[in-house]
Amino acid sequence: MTAPPARRRVTAPLLPMILALVAAAVLLAAAGCGAGSDSGDRGRLDVVAAESFLADIAQNVAGDRFTVRTLIPPGADPHAFEPAPKDLGEVAAADLVIVNGGGLEGPLLDTLTNVGGSATIVDASAGLKTRTPQPGEPPLGAGQIDPHFWLDPVAVQTYVANIRDAFVKADPSGAAAYAVNAAAYSAKLKQLDAWIKAQVAQIPAQDRTLVMNHASHGYFADRYGFQIVGTVLPGVGTADTPTARQLGDLTQAIRRSGAKAIFVEIDENPQLAEQIAAETGVRVVTDLLDHSLTAAGGVAPTYIAMMKYDTQRIVEAFR
Amino acid sequence: MIHWLTEPFTLQFMQRALAASLIVGVVCSVLGCFVVLRAMAFLGDALAHAVLPGVAIAYLLGANILAGALVAALVVAAGIGLFSRRGAVKEDTAIGILFAAALALGVVLISTVRSYATDLTHILFGNVLGVSPGDLWLTGALAVGVLATILLLYKELLLASFDPVLAHTLGRRPELLRFVMLVLLALTVVVSLQTVGVGLVAAMLVTPAATAYLLTRRLSSMMALAAVIGAASSVTGLYVSYYLNVASGAAVVLTATAAFLVAFVAAPGRGVLARRAAMRRAA
Amino acid sequence: MSTDDCLSLENVTVAYRGRTALDAVTMAVPHGGQVAIVGPNGAGKSTLFKALVGLLPLRAGRIELRDRAPGTQAQPIAYVPQREEVDWTFPVTVSDVVMMGRYGRLGWLRRPRAADRELVADCLDELGMADFAGRPVGDLSGGQQQRVFLARALAQEPHVLLLDEPFSGVDVGAKEALLDILERLRRRGITVLVSTHDLQTASQRFELVALLNGRLIAYGPPPEVFTAEHIGTAFGGHALFLEGMMVIDECGTGEVAGGQHCRDHERDVGDA
Repeated sequence: MTAPPARRRVTAPLLPMILALVAAAVLLAAAGCGAGSDSGDRGRLDVVAAESFLADIAQNVAGDRFTVRTLIPPGADPHAFEPAPKDLGEVAAADLVIVNGGGLEGPLLDTLTNVGGSATIVDASAGLKTRTPQPGEPPLGAGQIDPHFWLDPVAVQTYVANIRDAFVKADPSGAAAYAVNAAAYSAKLKQLDAWIKAQVAQIPAQDRTLVMNHASHGYFADRYGFQIVGTVLPGVGTADTPTARQLGDLTQAIRRSGAKAIFVEIDENPQLAEQIAAETGVRVVTDLLDHSLTAAGGVAPTYIAMMKYDTQRIVEAFR
Repeated sequence: MIHWLTEPFTLQFMQRALAASLIVGVVCSVLGCFVVLRAMAFLGDALAHAVLPGVAIAYLLGANILAGALVAALVVAAGIGLFSRRGAVKEDTAIGILFAAALALGVVLISTVRSYATDLTHILFGNVLGVSPGDLWLTGALAVGVLATILLLYKELLLASFDPVLAHTLGRRPELLRFVMLVLLALTVVVSLQTVGVGLVAAMLVTPAATAYLLTRRLSSMMALAAVIGAASSVTGLYVSYYLNVASGAAVVLTATAAFLVAFVAAPGRGVLARRAAMRRAA
Repeated sequence: MSTDDCLSLENVTVAYRGRTALDAVTMAVPHGGQVAIVGPNGAGKSTLFKALVGLLPLRAGRIELRDRAPGTQAQPIAYVPQREEVDWTFPVTVSDVVMMGRYGRLGWLRRPRAADRELVADCLDELGMADFAGRPVGDLSGGQQQRVFLARALAQEPHVLLLDEPFSGVDVGAKEALLDILERLRRRGITVLVSTHDLQTASQRFELVALLNGRLIAYGPPPEVFTAEHIGTAFGGHALFLEGMMVIDECGTGEVAGGQHCRDHERDVGDA
């Protein structure tokens, strides 16, 4: 029988080779993790913002000192974004990564934190006071907060301050410029706030009821006097699916309150909203824009444009 | 009491959910009798997962999701039929390979779409509350097609399942009938996507039929009983999901499983209790 | 083939699992004839039957059944397999199984009619299984199961009946009953081929014997076939000739254990 000796001869050198390959792979990975990149010359910062509206806000603070890049492309859902390896490469190479915070990014935040490199994570919403859900709104999960601060322009002024401070810390040579830019932008935000108030005033106070696809407009509602009657998806995120009972309760709430429309964002699936609308006879408005900007030529290329567009769509529904 | 029974179904979408669940409960259970007797449960599960790339491509093309699922299921059914005829790998292996590949392809395609993340959950676990009138028509039509085929080809399917050798000698072409069964399975999976989703359709194929198997000893009554059990589980599951405020598709599956457990223990002659009693009598 | 012949094989060669299982078999069976097919394990007995019903393709040669090729629909050859090839836990009753024999006569979309049901009842009666009509097949004993399959074969209204090892694993009483049935079939003009390891029964109760071992070694009345020369050729080293006596080391004939052992052998050797 000659087979066994032949086998032994073949496996003997093969096994150490495999072990060597595995060890090499591990070493490479460890080395790769350690290799961040330095930002080159200190005059410009390499900044990535998670959401497109954040990038716009941050760009206004940065002025023409550098360009802020966006991680989550227009149209994608920031509650459930899955980055591709290339995206993470850009994050690892950055100096600053600006996130909304408050749990908006979900597990993406952990991914961004673990990506290594020398990036500092900037929590744009740090320091803002969170709201509790009103009766009729879906309850928060354990440890959850409502992260949709940016739909309140007054809160965004805190965003501007946090971002400005982060820029100054990373690039002290631009402190003066960042301060000027931040102040100018905050003034614009105040104008936006006044504009929205004027628009909303067209709706009689008792009619100001909102039904959203998910619990996105809490801070907006608080600031401008709306009551949120209910939401199709039962939470501040987009991952929860409603049960039959929840949809039934929503139907009754809509009928009781006399709400006129269910508002769905442009990239959300309106199917469940349409079911409820068919049941109750209300409209479905499917082109709100509040979690991301459009491309440059679209209706909402900047944060301010997005808010104006969003407000107009809401107000129009009440006519 | 009456109010308690009717309250969930005053809402139209709940009525459609009920209709869809009933249809799925009946079709899955009837075809499921063959799935159980021919040991095709893994195959059924694989076909269910294999619809994912079809759904993703339908999204990308803006086409109807159910249509995409149907095409994908038929393609994979044909593929499995083809692979297992060549005989180079065991059928079990062929199924495992195709199913995982299709699932991975679906995930990759869906990851390029980058919106509608919730819909992955819906595809996996059902979206019975989102059944539109159009969906219901399509579901009903497919279900009628499947049931009619089973009825018309009943004796051929019975023969091919029980004794493929005789089927062959009588010119009843068991390979062709097996392929027909794969197509029926693909259609049934698509019908069931709405109510229980890809992850749970295997349960609706297998559990009511397995329960019926424990309770009767003739195929015709097994099918009838399975249909009743499937329908009853669907209705009860919907009620449970409404009053306990939990996910509907999963509630239906758990109800069917509970029915199976009861039969497993208490079935006359074949349940655990009956067998113990028989052993004691024999001792 | 002559007008008297029911079944004729010319130069039939069949391959099975890559090797030639049957080589150039030529024989003709007269109408109403009863032939015992014998030979050692792996001789090709089951292969012959499978080729006759069209389950295996012919590599060469021709099979003729009164001008009709086997394997076509409503073919008049009925094949009764060895017992293990069916799922006994399947939920079918005895009459369901026998009715399956009628499917060849019914079209694809037809339901069985009253005439079919009567025929099924008659076939069950003929085999003494009428009382078991409603029972699930899994409840029956081995001998009863065999009779159900025989009834099913009769329900096909065949011209030719092939029985694969019907005497294995049955006791003497059952064997006699079976031989009775075969006699009744002969009187009805049904041609019967029976494969068996029971050389005693083959030589005493059958008018024709075919001795196989990969090829047809001898075919004719028992005394012409069971010669020392033919047996030596067929069984090779398994046959021992002592003074006035021939001993063949075969599986035990007519015993339950021996029958199972035979079947295990056949599975190993590939003569399935």
